Amino acid sequence: MAIRGGRPAARAGRPPATAYRLSWRILDALEAVAARWPARAEGAVKWLLLAPALAVVGLLVFGLVVMADASLRVMDFRTYQLGEDYSTANYVRLFGWGAFHATLWRSLVATLLVTLFCLLLAFPYAYALTRTASARLRRVLLVGLFLPFFVGQVVRAYGWLVILGQQGLVNQALGLVGLGPYRLLFSYPTVLFGLVQYMLPFAVLMLAPALAAIPEEIERAAASCGASRGRTLLRVVLPMARPGLIAAALVVATLTLTDFAMPAILGGGTNDFLANLVHDQFFRTSNAGLGSAIALVLTLLGTTVAGLLLAAAGVGALGLRGAR
Amino acid sequence: MAVGVAARPTVPRADTAPAVEATGLGRRYGEVWALEEASFRLERGQFLTVLGPSGSGKSTLLKLIAGFERPDRGHVRLFGAEVDAVPPHRRPIGMVFQRLALFPHMTAAGNVAFPLEMRRFDPREIPARVERFLKLVRLEGLGGRRPHELSGGQQQRVAIARALVFEPELLLLDEPLASLDVRLKEEMQLEFRRIQRELGVTTINVTHDQREALVLSDRVIVMAGGRILQEGDPETVWRDPAHPFVARFLGVGTMLRGRAEAGPVLRIGERLLPGRAPNPATAPRPGQPAVAALRAERVRIAPADGADGDGTRLAERLAGRVEDAVFEGERVLYELSVPELAGLRLRAIDRDPGGHARYRPGAPVSVQWSPDDLLLFDASLETGSDP
Ligand SMILES: Nc1ncnc2c1ncn2[C@@H]1O[C@H](COP(=O)(O)OP(=O)(O)OP(=O)(O)O)[C@@H](O)[C@H]1O
Ligand SMILES: [Mg+2]
Repeated sequence: MAIRGGRPAARAGRPPATAYRLSWRILDALEAVAARWPARAEGAVKWLLLAPALAVVGLLVFGLVVMADASLRVMDFRTYQLGEDYSTANYVRLFGWGAFHATLWRSLVATLLVTLFCLLLAFPYAYALTRTASARLRRVLLVGLFLPFFVGQVVRAYGWLVILGQQGLVNQALGLVGLGPYRLLFSYPTVLFGLVQYMLPFAVLMLAPALAAIPEEIERAAASCGASRGRTLLRVVLPMARPGLIAAALVVATLTLTDFAMPAILGGGTNDFLANLVHDQFFRTSNAGLGSAIALVLTLLGTTVAGLLLAAAGVGALGLRGAR
Repeated sequence: MAVGVAARPTVPRADTAPAVEATGLGRRYGEVWALEEASFRLERGQFLTVLGPSGSGKSTLLKLIAGFERPDRGHVRLFGAEVDAVPPHRRPIGMVFQRLALFPHMTAAGNVAFPLEMRRFDPREIPARVERFLKLVRLEGLGGRRPHELSGGQQQRVAIARALVFEPELLLLDEPLASLDVRLKEEMQLEFRRIQRELGVTTINVTHDQREALVLSDRVIVMAGGRILQEGDPETVWRDPAHPFVARFLGVGTMLRGRAEAGPVLRIGERLLPGRAPNPATAPRPGQPAVAALRAERVRIAPADGADGDGTRLAERLAGRVEDAVFEGERVLYELSVPELAGLRLRAIDRDPGGHARYRPGAPVSVQWSPDDLLLFDASLETGSDP
């Protein structure tokens, strides 16, 4: 209201329409409405804002309960209905199923390796991005970071088929010098490679803010203490970047553990992860009971991995509380 | 040697090369020279303060000496050795940064121990040495705390201890006191002086606080616009500023503009004001525009009808009027209008305001100063390198 009272432009003799902008009038009107808002509703507003998020989380919990219920019933293959009685038969079956064990280990090892490689590759990228003095290099790095997001995971996986296939670019190039063709697709390393390539931007995105938050002066201070660049990295930059490293590991590990498309397309059925197994149970063998059991194991594993990472980070991980 | 840092000789070793020798140092960012030309020598054991307004290139100069950046021209020698190719972590330099730059993930003791670990001190010796330096900066018992658990002044002390603990041959301070409140600042200034004397370490301190420069230093360099305007001991720089900018930057005063005449004399309108040119190189040429600096505390005011204040021979006696009187505790700052000097606002400081008469705004007074206190310069200098 004080603004309207002042109206310097109007006093200067200009038309009042330009003196008091429409956007201000709208804001004034909104404020007038807000002023009438019952104070009692204050608390309700908070929950109202949280409602969509709560609804989504609630749906997920509901889905989990339904799955837990299904995982405890045995599929009757004469009727293709889940049995009436609860039993642990599905879990017992998983326990003694060799293919499940192999898939479980394959997923876990992949999670570990992909996370490690992503952090190793993302760190220098994020460091260069946040430290370079050249505006051009920074622009190139940023475009390189966001470009992959415009190309979905499935499209990218098919891109690798074109490049790595029996008739693909790589084998054609090798053929020119009289080598190959080699079978590059449908192997574990290829799946890992595809996953690392897919997850790298996520890792950089999580790491960059953490590195940007470390003042350059700190690194100079380390140098003035006699620390070489390598020791500065090990003793100062890495420990200070821990929240970012944990966050990046969290995102990459959980996404890798539950990934479906890369093993499906680049592995071609030879290198399935747990998610592929779930898919097969639901849509190939139509065993919703067993599929639910695997899905629950997968959920539990993901939660455990995330929990372990957060526990390793200690309080203040992810920098959510600003405690450094 | 109260803290027992006995191993370090405070007197230079056999060789007598200066601690720091800068020749024609320059550093450019894009098209702009942040530091145009800096040449100076600093003898061992001395405390040098680099004084200058914001953006005058002080930090840039320190960065070049510390080796964080390479000069675009000129050279740095440390203790006689050319260091242009020596990376910062191999230089014998301890540094306290403007924003302190303590390592947040280490305790205070960890911060202080860090340079010792990096410089490969005997691990058995480290804890005792850390303890000794924490004591030197009066932080006994606080070594276990993280930086965020310490007050601003305590963090400052950790930063000082970290810079000194390995007994560097050169200590660089980049305005580490700028963010402190006045009391703490003055306390820390004395602390610096005490520690510097105790350890005898050659020190370069950067600041834009003139008081700090005068209190702490053996030598002062005044910078503006990427250039060194004057180098000297604090008293010389204060009494005989070599450049109009230095005269204006140090202390409170008035700049008078007119024409120079032989003598030297400053002519403003019909009035002739005898003065003194402190530096032949910057003295005005007769007939040319001149600028004169007159320190506020050298201006005496007396009742308009009274005799000279204390009987000393004062060359000038002008009629003036008090426009404003600002009580500043130990002194009163007057703003005077002097009709004869084309309406110029003259500033005068009167110490001991309780001891004698105070003048109210509007009061007619007579204004006097000694020709020795009117410092004359070539006016073209002001537009030249004035930031
Ligand atoms: N990295 C940089 N890139 C571009 N310009 C810079 C850079 N560093 C400093 N400058 C410019 O160089 C000039 C001198 O900077 P410098 O930091 O040396 O000033 P200073 O005297 O330390 O000032 P302050 O008292 O504000 O710290 C300034 O004009 C500044 O804008
Ligand atoms: Mg600076």
